[in-house]
Amino acid sequence: MFKLASKAIEVAHKYKADFGDIRIIEERRQNLGVKNGELNGLTDQITLGYGIRVLYKGAWGFASGSQMTGRAIADTTLKAIAIAKASRLLMAGRVRLAHEPAYTDFWQTPFLKDPFAVPVETKLALLFKIDAVLRKNKKIRATASEMRFIRERQWHMTTDGSRIEQVQLSSGASFSATAVEKGDVQTRAYPCTHGGQTLAGGWEVIEAMNMQDHAERVRDEAVALLSAPLCPAGVKDLIISGNQLALQIHESVGHASELDRVLGYEESYAGSSFATTEKLGKFRYGSPIVNLVADATLPGGLATAGYDDDAVRAQRWHIIKDGVLTGYMTNREFCGKIGRERSWGSCRADGYSNIPITRICNLSLMPGNTALEQLVGEVRDGIMMENNMSWSIDQKRLNFQFGCEIGWLIKNGKRTKLVKNPTYQGITPEFWGSCDAIADHSEWRLWGVANCGKGQPGQTAMMCHGSSPARFRKVKIGVRG
Amino acid sequence: MKKIETVCEKIFRLAGRAQCEVMAELRNGALTRFADNVISQNVASSSVNFSVRLLDSGRMAKINFNQADDASLGRAVSSGLEILKKQKKDPALLPLAKPRPIPAGKNLYFRETAELDPVYRAGKAAELAKACRKSGQISCGTFENGSSELVIANNLGVFARHRETYAIHSVTVRDKDGFGWAEYPAYDVNEIPFARLNETARAKAARGRSPKEIKPGRYTVVLEPQASADLLTYLAVYGFGGQIYNEGRSFVCGKLGKKTLSSLLSMEDNALDGASPGMPFDYEGQPRTKVTLVENGVLKSVVHDRKTAKAAKTASTGHALPQPSYMGPFPLNLAVKPGQGSLEDLIKGTERGILVTQFHYTNLLKPQTVEMTGMTRNGTFMIENGKITFPIKNMRFTQSAAEAFSNVEAVSGETTPVQAWGPMACPSFRLKNFNFSSSTKF
Repeated sequence: MFKLASKAIEVAHKYKADFGDIRIIEERRQNLGVKNGELNGLTDQITLGYGIRVLYKGAWGFASGSQMTGRAIADTTLKAIAIAKASRLLMAGRVRLAHEPAYTDFWQTPFLKDPFAVPVETKLALLFKIDAVLRKNKKIRATASEMRFIRERQWHMTTDGSRIEQVQLSSGASFSATAVEKGDVQTRAYPCTHGGQTLAGGWEVIEAMNMQDHAERVRDEAVALLSAPLCPAGVKDLIISGNQLALQIHESVGHASELDRVLGYEESYAGSSFATTEKLGKFRYGSPIVNLVADATLPGGLATAGYDDDAVRAQRWHIIKDGVLTGYMTNREFCGKIGRERSWGSCRADGYSNIPITRICNLSLMPGNTALEQLVGEVRDGIMMENNMSWSIDQKRLNFQFGCEIGWLIKNGKRTKLVKNPTYQGITPEFWGSCDAIADHSEWRLWGVANCGKGQPGQTAMMCHGSSPARFRKVKIGVRG
Repeated sequence: MKKIETVCEKIFRLAGRAQCEVMAELRNGALTRFADNVISQNVASSSVNFSVRLLDSGRMAKINFNQADDASLGRAVSSGLEILKKQKKDPALLPLAKPRPIPAGKNLYFRETAELDPVYRAGKAAELAKACRKSGQISCGTFENGSSELVIANNLGVFARHRETYAIHSVTVRDKDGFGWAEYPAYDVNEIPFARLNETARAKAARGRSPKEIKPGRYTVVLEPQASADLLTYLAVYGFGGQIYNEGRSFVCGKLGKKTLSSLLSMEDNALDGASPGMPFDYEGQPRTKVTLVENGVLKSVVHDRKTAKAAKTASTGHALPQPSYMGPFPLNLAVKPGQGSLEDLIKGTERGILVTQFHYTNLLKPQTVEMTGMTRNGTFMIENGKITFPIKNMRFTQSAAEAFSNVEAVSGETTPVQAWGPMACPSFRLKNFNFSSSTKF
């Protein structure tokens, strides 16, 4: 493939482009789904194509195609150059990329069992078995269980001299049961909602979920929620666990720290950020126990790779250190605007047909030193919420409101009754500032976000957020219409 | 690219005795994005994708691929046939659809729109950026155009083809702490009122400077078309989809034929000859039909594909999404019946209320009442005694859409094309008693 890719580099050099790169990507996906006792999908996908970036006299152009010939690649490179020339009609100054050494390397996601080699009948048998357990209650009106596997092989070549081959592999699964009674609808999912859990790795990721061990509980909790009281409204202490804390990190820290947003380049769509550059190194984002670390080297992370799509080698850095904003998600184009000579390396594209953009890396809340029992034991009047159901946050990432699948009231240090439709609302720095305890490393889990949308045209990216349950004092809960 | 018909014939031959459906999609798209008064991204993509569904004796497999040479076709179909063999029979699996006459639909392909080049797009970005620079404003946005062609064919005789073009001018203007927004999607670029959109966004941003904070609570709201469409789309998708309805999860359940919403609300799904046209067939190659969802507040019908229609013992309305579909059929070509007067008339008739340009990051909280949350964005203003008096800081709403559209006071007399989950034609609404649950800091 590098021979084919070199056509784009030749053309970029011939036209004296400041920079050019080509990513040829072969992607294999497999999705399996069972819904309400029936096969709801068994899809195998193989695509092959390339995306070409050219920085020509300080302006960007990008074009993609899927015709795999040298001629087509050369033509697509010329198209990218023509687009870059048009970009020059409305520019302020020349785009300059931060320096990065040239690499020749091969990297792949470590895995134990190739999920594409596991027979389809094995996968379907597990999904049907779970589905049968979920449907063993008449109040369950909708069930769904699914698995998905993605292997992306990328050949990346740049005019800087980098020649990087990477193979990223991820595996994911989930199931859910929806109970309906007298106009009420309640859903419970495992391991979590919104497509479930996905991590980098092979079939061992699915095995580690022990899905069948949780089907009965999930079904019974969905039914129990129908008769549970509504989450009360008021101000209470809140303990967040499961993928809800992952989404809290994602929405209120991850997106807020994308430097392209911060600089206003996403204003027209996803929005900007309150975490502006003059706050770097000074702004109190959270309490002193809050440490959030971006890490492209994290084992199991969906954003873990040898290099990002700017050909920058994977790194680990703090976004928030001891509660203070200390870093951003960067690419080679914008990192200079905060005085950095090198990008932290968080620039990625969705497949071959999209331009690389600044993305959230794996971003994790570092564990604290409090046992989970103590976290609960120190709450007089509170609530514990688990697994996200709905999310919404303003375009500067300040005012957020989340709804969860399930909640348990906490009274005098004890988890008591189940409540349904729990919600909470807050303002980002005040909320993280109210974090007074984080459970220890024994509770720390990695949660995958496999559907992060951003950019125009829209792109999807995957990343992980690790966390232990955390406690937030005096939070507004039970917001309703 | 070989002719799609030839590729389909090859795939059908390779499928042998299995039932075989091919969905082929060719797309050419380009998008120029600008921010801070300069072009920040400028991209183009060309793709062709094939999705092949194979069915045999209650077994199903689907293969997606984008290389159509003989070797790739052979590999793709044989891997699909191999997967078929490994399944148990599913007696509930529907066979493929048989051909039915497809209505002509509207012409939605405009060559000029398909062929707009990057210099044209840069020019449109520059018109706004230059005006903004002069007045100390900052422009952001996109101009995009492209074309697509979709073929749905199966070896039972279905062959349906549709092509269309698109152009969308979307602009956001920042004027210190004021924001304004305007957007217009069209099949034909000549329909886009560029100057008016630019001026609307610039004027709104200028007027939005120094917003004041007001207390959350229940207010009368005047929702401009995009804000109205955001709520109505959720109402349509989570209320009138055949699968959600069949599973008892829709607010429409038990209320068909009953007056549940305001008598000022009428809404149809009509891809054929309405105000928001689209493809005249669905993703099973079945003819789309016009479906009245709400008529004067009475809930009339839900939309079906063949699977949900069978379960509901009725006929498909031609609303299938690519099969198999996790969420079932949706209404995707929504047109809301206009009322009387203009947006300005709605404002004039408001004693005390809030004008909302757009909502941001809306999401569903409770499907059974379509309770939603989201933020206002890009132009939120106080209305007092029929006049806009001052800009206000953005607010979060937490509100049932079903309840909101029971409280309609007035509907404007003209609709605007907006981008929702599909194309949509939507007027402005005035709703009473709309719940804002919190506010933010800008």
